[in-house]
Amino acid sequence: MRSVPIISVSNLSKSFGSLRALREVSFSVQRGEIFAYLGPNGAGKTTTIRILGGLLPRDAGEVSICGADVAREPVFVKERIGVVPDESNLYPELTCRRNLEYLGELYGLRRGMRSAKATELLEFFALTGRADTPFGALSRGLKRRLTIAAALVHEPEVVFLDEPTSGLDVPSARALRELIRSINRRGATVFLTTHNLQEAEVLSQRVLILIQGRVAALGTPAEIRQRVQRLNLLAVTFSPQIEVAPLLKACPAVLQASFQNGVWRLEVTEAHAALQQLVSFAEAAGVRLSEISTMTASLEDAFMSLLTECTTKEEARP
Amino acid sequence: MRQFRRAYAISRKDIESYYGKPPLVTWGLLFPAVLLLSLYVKDPTTYLAIAPGIIAMTLLFGSTSMAAIVVTFEKRAGTFQRLLLAPLSMRTIILGKAASASAYGLATALVLTLGLKFALGMTLVDPVIFLVGLILGASCFSLLGLTAAVIVREVFEAMTLMNFVRFPVLFISGVFMPLSQLPSWLQPLALLSPLTYVVDLLQIGVTGRSAIGGPVVSVLAGLLFLLASALLAELLFRRAAFQ
Repeated sequence: MRSVPIISVSNLSKSFGSLRALREVSFSVQRGEIFAYLGPNGAGKTTTIRILGGLLPRDAGEVSICGADVAREPVFVKERIGVVPDESNLYPELTCRRNLEYLGELYGLRRGMRSAKATELLEFFALTGRADTPFGALSRGLKRRLTIAAALVHEPEVVFLDEPTSGLDVPSARALRELIRSINRRGATVFLTTHNLQEAEVLSQRVLILIQGRVAALGTPAEIRQRVQRLNLLAVTFSPQIEVAPLLKACPAVLQASFQNGVWRLEVTEAHAALQQLVSFAEAAGVRLSEISTMTASLEDAFMSLLTECTTKEEARP
Repeated sequence: MRQFRRAYAISRKDIESYYGKPPLVTWGLLFPAVLLLSLYVKDPTTYLAIAPGIIAMTLLFGSTSMAAIVVTFEKRAGTFQRLLLAPLSMRTIILGKAASASAYGLATALVLTLGLKFALGMTLVDPVIFLVGLILGASCFSLLGLTAAVIVREVFEAMTLMNFVRFPVLFISGVFMPLSQLPSWLQPLALLSPLTYVVDLLQIGVTGRSAIGGPVVSVLAGLLFLLASALLAELLFRRAAFQ
């Protein structure tokens, strides 16, 4: 039997004037999951987090977190969730420790517990040496870490992370991803929004792709990749290099071509026909096909394919 | 009870972060102290008539400005969102913010009062009514400051909006002259200002004389204004929270 979801969203809709930010969005998140919520800019990701975090009222639909509706029982739900906004927004004048202790007070932790929790979190996030540094004096990466720590001060059942690694350098982003895994291992369900598809792929058990306020895909990263496996991807290297226009003209089986690091990445309708056309093209153009291989679709490929599909559909709507 | 403890935490943190800073304390005290001293130097026998008005003015400016500045600043910095994300009712947030602004207003007014007592020999004939006036005024004014803060986005906008209200109110509320000396057409307007009742209660505290009809009338009117300010603040905070 499947367990009761910790987050359940059904037909959630939200508009801002004539802009429909969310259109009948439905999904559920199981306890203990890392759930990635993906979408291009303006897809409705932050609007969803704001509604789930009780910062924005919805127009229609049902939202249940830990068995309660955030609009009807906001205090109950907020005691059980931790939200990390896309901006690190703790109190700049307070020290790292005081920020954690103050938030502990707001969440009803007793004095001894607050102090112990602050010490534990500072240690867990490798900020013990900065305990007495004002938040405003920290680097961007450390600010991000403390903001995540602040969301965990009351041991929430669900943690919402809005673009957690946005603007961080590679080592900081990698360290933060490891921390997100640790938070999940400690028992928290993680709801993650990110632009970074690779991050979503390595971190999450399931992914939802939101495009123009609609659910475009929902499933494990493997399931979503499978949706585009029907598209054959080829990696081809020509020597010397060629122009894209003659290639597309000579090879009707090639749907799209992109060039990166000396390799052409071709999206083709059917591999066999495409190969024949590519060989003919190379002979006619007097270039050599120095390398050719098939590629596996990544989550990014799936995302881009879904984005094109949804945009085309939307444009076709009357 | 849990929500009260959380409101107390908000107040304590605000006092620690903003109100307890020495420059802010002196800013609230300097202008009224210099004004009263000038009046005393000019005529030591009549300064007492205006002292309750100046103390009320200190209370008005201290409580409204600080409430508005702190909330507008936190909205700009994004830290106000932390309160909205925490398990706090809107009343808890309002109570926490208003209590710290009131404490600041009260502290500056009390320091001014003590200064007048020890430096210039001012006595209080009814300290209880005087204190009731201060508490009612500080609470009411800080709530009005909060309402201004949620309407606007920038600190200077909050100040402009409040000055638009505060200066006319100063003129009609018996701060610089007794209500009886106001033009007759302005006197009914004075009754619509909460500052009028605060000045009257402080006047009773200092001189024992009321310009309106006694302490009961002014206390009841003050309570009514306090209730109206609280309702207005709650209404606007609920609306602003979702913007």
